[in-house]
Order: sequence, then structure tokens, then C-alpha cells
Amino acid sequence: MKLRASLLAFSVLCSFAIPAAHADSAKPYAGQTISVLLPPWGTLPKAMTDSFTAETGIKIDMQTQGWDQIHAKILTAMIANNAPADVTEVDWSWVGQFGAAGWYVPLQGKVSADVVKDVASSKIFTTDGNLIAMPYNNDFRVLIVNKAMFDKAGITSLPTTMDELWNDAVALKKSGVTYPIALPLSANEGTSTAWYLMTKAFGGDLFDAQLKPEFTTPDSAGYKALDWIVKAVKAGLIDPASTGLTDVQVQAFLSGGQAAIDLAGWAGNLTVYNDPTKSKVAGHVEAVLMPSATGHSRSFGLPEALGIPANAAHKDAALAFIDWWMKPATQIEAYTALGDLPTSTAALSSLSAAGKIPSGDVLLKQIPTVEPLFAQGTPEWYPQFSAGVSSAINEAAKGQLTVAQAIAQIAAQAQKAKSQ
Amino acid sequence: MKTKPIQSWLMRGGVTLLLAWSLAPILWAVRSSLTRPVDLTASKFSFLPPTFTLQHYGNLLGTVSAFQGQVTQSVWPQFSRALINSLVTSAAATVITVIAAALGGYAFARLRFPGRDAIFGLIVATLAIPAYTVMIPLYRMMVSLHLVDTYLGVTLVYVSAFLPLALWLMRSVYRGLPIALEEAAAIDGAGKLRTLFTIILPMAGPGLMAAAILTFLTAWGQFLIPLVFSPTLATKPLTVLIPEFVSKNYIDYGLMNAAGVLAIIPPLLLVVFLNRYLISGLTAGSGK
Amino acid sequence: MTALSLPRRRARISGGDAGLGLLMALPIILLMGSLVFWPLVMTFWDSVHRVDPMRFGTPFVGLRNYLSLFSDSDVQSSAFNTIVYVVVAVVIETAGGVAAALLLNSLGRARKWVLAAVILPWALPPVVNSIIWLWIYNPSYGVLNGVLRALGVISQNHVWFNDRWSALLLIAVVHIWRMLPITAVIVLAGLQSIPQELYEAARIDGAGALSRFGRITLPLIGGSLAIAMTQSTVLAFNLFDEAWILNGSSGDTRTLLIQVYMSAFQDLHFSYGMALSVLVMFASLAVSLIYVIRGKAETSAE
Repeated sequence: MKLRASLLAFSVLCSFAIPAAHADSAKPYAGQTISVLLPPWGTLPKAMTDSFTAETGIKIDMQTQGWDQIHAKILTAMIANNAPADVTEVDWSWVGQFGAAGWYVPLQGKVSADVVKDVASSKIFTTDGNLIAMPYNNDFRVLIVNKAMFDKAGITSLPTTMDELWNDAVALKKSGVTYPIALPLSANEGTSTAWYLMTKAFGGDLFDAQLKPEFTTPDSAGYKALDWIVKAVKAGLIDPASTGLTDVQVQAFLSGGQAAIDLAGWAGNLTVYNDPTKSKVAGHVEAVLMPSATGHSRSFGLPEALGIPANAAHKDAALAFIDWWMKPATQIEAYTALGDLPTSTAALSSLSAAGKIPSGDVLLKQIPTVEPLFAQGTPEWYPQFSAGVSSAINEAAKGQLTVAQAIAQIAAQAQKAKSQ
Repeated sequence: MKTKPIQSWLMRGGVTLLLAWSLAPILWAVRSSLTRPVDLTASKFSFLPPTFTLQHYGNLLGTVSAFQGQVTQSVWPQFSRALINSLVTSAAATVITVIAAALGGYAFARLRFPGRDAIFGLIVATLAIPAYTVMIPLYRMMVSLHLVDTYLGVTLVYVSAFLPLALWLMRSVYRGLPIALEEAAAIDGAGKLRTLFTIILPMAGPGLMAAAILTFLTAWGQFLIPLVFSPTLATKPLTVLIPEFVSKNYIDYGLMNAAGVLAIIPPLLLVVFLNRYLISGLTAGSGK
Repeated sequence: MTALSLPRRRARISGGDAGLGLLMALPIILLMGSLVFWPLVMTFWDSVHRVDPMRFGTPFVGLRNYLSLFSDSDVQSSAFNTIVYVVVAVVIETAGGVAAALLLNSLGRARKWVLAAVILPWALPPVVNSIIWLWIYNPSYGVLNGVLRALGVISQNHVWFNDRWSALLLIAVVHIWRMLPITAVIVLAGLQSIPQELYEAARIDGAGALSRFGRITLPLIGGSLAIAMTQSTVLAFNLFDEAWILNGSSGDTRTLLIQVYMSAFQDLHFSYGMALSVLVMFASLAVSLIYVIRGKAETSAE
């Protein structure tokens, strides 16, 4: 116990000392092997992990699992009081649960303050004053359009408000695009997050500071956003088939050249849309700032992070790994290899200065407007609430519920999730 | 055996229907695995891909592959490793399950011991237990025994899950066999075990084959158990590997279909191969 | 004949038999006891406590988890969906499986190949299975709409999952497609154990095909049928992948097991989810018991 504490102190010291002194003797964990559980886009190429091993002497056992499965995997292991791995994926949406359960090692004071400052989205992973993970993948939402289709429809300026977006979609439909807007409407997480984004676009928020719903009245942004979605389905601007499709599935509408607007696109989608082996519209797709009602574009981030389970066997070596991934050089390499948008501001600006990010200027303009969905940290009831949201939107889009009924159902779900 | 023409036409119709029902979706998977990603979302419907491509198989089997628009390491090392894992765990589970069911089924069918029928009933009742119900305690146990991510651990869990059905099947196979043969053997002075191995087991061949096919195929398709008990490529099977081809921005349908088509081949070979034994086992049984 | 031989056999059965029987059954009893029954007891123990990693302590709550399940509207609707899946799956799998087995049994040399083809759907990893059907049902470029349009049944593409009943039915079809081979194989094994002489005798008596089926085949495959139907029921109660991949967590098609997963592994109300899974187990057990008793009645009647 004492030994561990002194090791910990030593590691903290090291992480501060390295930038200044760069000590060659800083291989305190040489010979240890850490297991790292991440989704496919977090699975670093061997060359990168080899260079980490060369630098620190720590070997890495990379475990890849589908993103959906990782949450279940972590829960199973933690409930059975076993570490799922030494370092695991921590999605922004799990923060409340993991924080409340006390499952992850608090990183404040362990990761250097300069690094925390450089990685702005780290505040999304702070809950009850504890920083439980450090983000490695800076995904956020942005509007993505097929410029060629806009040109063909005679639209000269790109939309900045939700009304303009509506009119453009109508014009696109007239010009022969059957369903101009790609938006997921199935009962899946991507449907909920799209609605949250549009709520922000309509100038509002989901919850107030006391976590009371702010979307229940017809003049609220959340209500308007859902109304907009349902009207767009009825007006034939969104393919009714989207009620069965997830976010990654509706993206095929844009890459297949059937839709012109990816309303809730990931910044990372641009790479796929502009890849001729996967997309029929490569070269015509670009990012646009999220439209807004107020003229102030807003977006929110759904970053993914690296955390250390409280019962992990090699906590200190795991921390060394996280420190290494937070370095701008590592993040630039990870972006080149996997397309993970850097969370380090330093890495981002050097990449965009080199012109290596598609629509980089737009993305860089959008990044400062990226907010967390919950300013006070993701609450522990978020996953349950969000499942209720996607189910209600799905039913409203199918015409089984009116907008008012769907909103009432979402509010009831929030109440139920909070009380359970 | 002579059949009336109407009957034979009916049979032909039935066979056609059965084949179409079973094979059409698989042929559709084969079609998708040969289609270029851009043609998968073609707005015009067509039965055959507009352009045939082997790129997905190339990605699976080649030395390098284009993944996410970039040339990366091939998935073949992972795919082949997972294929071996699937084969090893499914085969081991099948062998152990069939042996246990062959012996245990006989005990539960023909030998009398205290609590026999109650124990049998309880074991068969475990068929109704959803995997989620026992997963956490089972995981806890496997962790303390250091059996997570080992072939032995996964195989043991598989056997405990698939044995009840195989046991039930074998018990009813044994009970269906004429008792006179065993009595004759007993009169000749043969012991129970010898009777089982020399007379009963050969006659129960088709039943054993059916139990083996049932167990192997159920094991082959498992997802939830290996998801929890096989975290790394040391034991991770194909079923857990394939969903990893879904990324955040792109679902590699072509690759998934190609992997799925390849994943059918081992069980397909096995089914065709075992089939011959199924029929020959039957004729041998009826000859004696 | 068997009746006459019974007393003699009884007389000879002694301690040796019981010892051997126990010895042969012991590995199975140990394995099932430690890997299934013990975990089951642990889960039941958890389900009468409040096990919620987000809250401190695990106080005993008695049957409270179970009681609140009954008033949970999500549980009610997923129970309804599950019942629909079970009824549809068991009926179609049994009828289709018996038909397929009869057909296979009457085939000559072709049987090997047809049987292999019939078993194939089951060999497909469930994940790939669901993705294939996702494409088949896809409203825009799916083969289902394509074929129906070509046949003139529908004039424009239909969004199948926008209607609750068609969504339930289509998910059931995917499940049935994968599970029907089990019934077919089990029943085929049963059919092959029927002595051919019985049919010959019936034919000589002038019995038609239908009456031969009713008087010989059906009673003699009663046991196999009970196994197959139990299997169908249990698997339908456990339906998860098909509904999850094709329609997400949508309340229209959500099953009880999806509800278990969502409660325990997504919302982290662990013991609540476990209580539901214990109920699912008892429900599928209760339904299965009906076939076993019926199957037993059939076999002993013979």
C-alpha cells in the first residue's frame, strides 16, 4: 500500500518533470503489461504502441470491442468487482453512472494541469469535482451538405438558420432530390443526440441548472425542434424509412447521393463522404456551421475518453499511457492513422495549419462553440432518459404520437429515470 | 419404392420451397459480399450486383486492406485467429458435451439411482435460464478460477449451457431403443458398460450425430458468452469479431457479409460431412 | 413383452446399477451445479436486494423489485411483444419444422444436400443474420420491396417497421428463419427412429398417408416434438439480437430480455433487471412444462 502510494507520487512527479527535464531514467514501469479496451477507432496501429513501449518499457495488450459492447463489458466486470482492463473507453454519456458508482480513478492532480487545459473537452468528463477520464477523440456535431446538389437547386448561400435550412430543403426537393435531409429516427442513441443538437439550434437547452426539463412548453426550443422534425417527415423532406435507421445507416443516404443534408453529422463523417471507394459524391461534400435561431451557431460535443478503472492492476502504467496519448504528437499520429479528431488544442491547430483536416476552417470555427450537453456533467440517469427520448421521437415520426404526446412522454421518462 | 407422379411433384415443389426459404437470404449475403460499397445503396433495385468485386474478400484475406479509406494492416491476422478460436471452442464444447450426454443420457435412461428423475428434470429446466440471469455470478467465478479468456473457461460455460439439450436428446434416444437387446447381452454375461459401448452406442449413432450437430451449431453462433468470457483475440470467436467492422462513421457491410459467408463454410462442411455418417450410421444400425 | 420382462429386470437391478449410474451422472451434476445452479442462487439473492452500483449499500428489499416490475409500463409492453414472438415462433417453427423433417425423411440421395441447406441458416452468425435481413427489409433498396413491386403487390416502397404488427411479424420471421432448423433436425432424428415395419403394416391395413401420420408418426415423435417445442419456446423467450439490431430499443418491438439488458446493463438498476430475468425464466419454464407433460402423455399412451 505504502509502496503504491510512493509510486503514485513518483509518477505524478514524473508527469510534471518530463516536459522540463526529459529524464532517460523515467522508465519506472518497464516490463509491465497493461490491457487497453477500446472500440475499433481507438485501436492504435502497432507502430504507435511499439513506440510507446520503446519510450516507457510498458507493453500494451490492445483489446478491441464494438462500441455498443464495451459498456456492457465494463458493467459486467465492475459489478463482478473485476477490472475490465487497465485503461478503457469512457464515453461522455457514461460519465454520470461511472462517477456515481465510483468506478474510475480520479485523474485530477495526476494528469498535469497544463494538459487538462490543453484538452478543453476534459470538463465533460468531470463529475462531482472528479475528472474520471481524459478525452482522446474529439467528435462533435456539425452540418454537412452536398454542395453540388445545392448548386443544382440554385441555392447560392448556405443556410444559417433553421428556417433557411427548411426552405433550402424544399428547394432541393423541387430540384429532384426525393428526400433531401438525412436524419436518424430509429429508437437508438443517434436519434436522441440529433434532437439535442437541434434543441440547441433553436436556441434553447434541455435542462436548466437544477436539471428541470426545459422542453415541455410549445414555445420551448426542444418542442420546436421535435415539431420541426415531425413536419419535415410529413413534408417528405426526410425519408420515412429513417424511422428504422441508425445514424451510421442514414449516412449512406448522403454517400449514396440520395440526400443533400446530413443534419446531425459527425465531424468525422467528412472523411468517409469524400472517399471515392465508399461514396458516390466524393469531392462535393463540405461542412457548414450548425444553423441557429439566434445567429450564434452552437454545437455540442460527444467526445470519448480514456479512463482507469479503480480496481485496475497497473494504475500507474495506465496513467503513463494516458499521458502519452494526450501529447499533441501522439494525437496527430492517431488522427493520421485512425481519423480520431484530436482533443488537444495544440494538435488541432497544427493539423489545420498544415491543411490536413477536410473543411478544416469550418470545423475550427465550430469547435469554440462546442458545449457539453449537460453543463453540470452528465447525470447518472442519462442513458435511461436517452433511451426514452429516442423511443418517443421514433413513435412521433411514425405518426403514433403527436408532438405534444411525445414531449409529455419524454418528460415522464426523465421523471422516471431520475426517481429510480 | 414407387410414388405417384402427383406425390413426386408435390415433393419437388416442397423441396424447392424449402431450399428457397433457407438459401435465398444467404445468397443475398453472397451477393452483397461481391458488391462494391457504392452499389450497395443503389437506388435502382437489381438482383445481381452491377459490378462484381472481390475487394471485400481481398480485405479479409490479403496482406493489406483498405479500411476507412486508408491502407491499413489486413484484418486477416485477426480473422484467421478468430476463426481458429471459433473452431476450437465449438469443437471442444461439442466433443465434451456429446461424451457427457452419451454416458449421462444412458445413466438417466437405464440405470436407477436415487433422485434420478428429479435431477434430470432440474438439469433440463436450466434450458429456460436466460444467459443474462447467470452471467455476473458466473463471470465472478471464472475470474477467481483464472479461467476468463481461456479455451477451458469458454468451453466449460458452453458445455454447461448446451449439455441439457444434448442430454435430453440422448436419454430419449436410449429409451427408444428396444430393451431386449440389452437383456440379451446381460444374459450373455456382459456388464452394463460393455453393453453400452459395444451394443447401445453404435445403435445410438444417429442420435449422437444429431446431438453433435445441435451443440456445434449453437456454440458456433454464440455471441453473449464469448463477449464476456473471451475479451481478447486469444479466445475471441468470429461472432464477436464481426461486429467490430461497424465503425462510428461507416458500416462495412461488404466486409461483414464476406466475413459471414466465410464463417458459414466450416459448419457447412461439417454438416455435409456428418450427414454421410448420419445415414451410414443408420444403415449400420438397421443391419444388426 | 416388455411388461413381462419388467419384474425380472427389477429383480436384477441392485446397488451396482445405482453406483454406476451415479458415477456416470456425477460429472454432469457437478458441472451443472457449479456453473448453473450456484450462479442462479446468487442472482436470486441479488434480486431480493437493492444492488445498484450508483447507490450505497445493498439492503434487503424482499420482493419489492418483483412487485414494482408488474406496474412498470415498459415491462408490460415488452411482455406483450414477447408473448407475440413466442406464439408466432412456436407455431410456425413446429409446423414448418415437422413439414421440413417429413420432406427430408422421404428424400433419397438428395437428402444429404437438402439437409445441409436447411441447417445453413442456423450456422450463420446471428450478427450477420440480422444484417442480411436489415438489407432485405430496407425500405429504399431492400429485396423485399423490390420483389413485391416487381410482382405488383405494392405500388410504392413500404416502410415495414412503421407499423407495429408488421414490425413484430418481420422480426419473428428472422428469428424463425434461424431457429426452424433446430426443430427440423430434432424431429428428423425422431422420424428416423421409427421402425419402417410399422408403416408397412399400416399400409397393408389400408391406412392412408394422413391416417398413418396421425396414428404412427405423431405419437412416436411426441418426445422429439416436446424437445423441439421446448427449445422453440425458450429461444423465443430469449429473443434479443433480431429485435435489437433491426429496431433498436423501440417500444414497439422491445422484448423482455432487451428490457432486462436495458435495466441492468444500461440504466445500472442491476437487481431490478435480474428480478425481471428470473421472472422470464419462470415464465418460459412454465410454458415449456406444458409440452413436456403433453409429450410424456403422448409417449406413455403408446
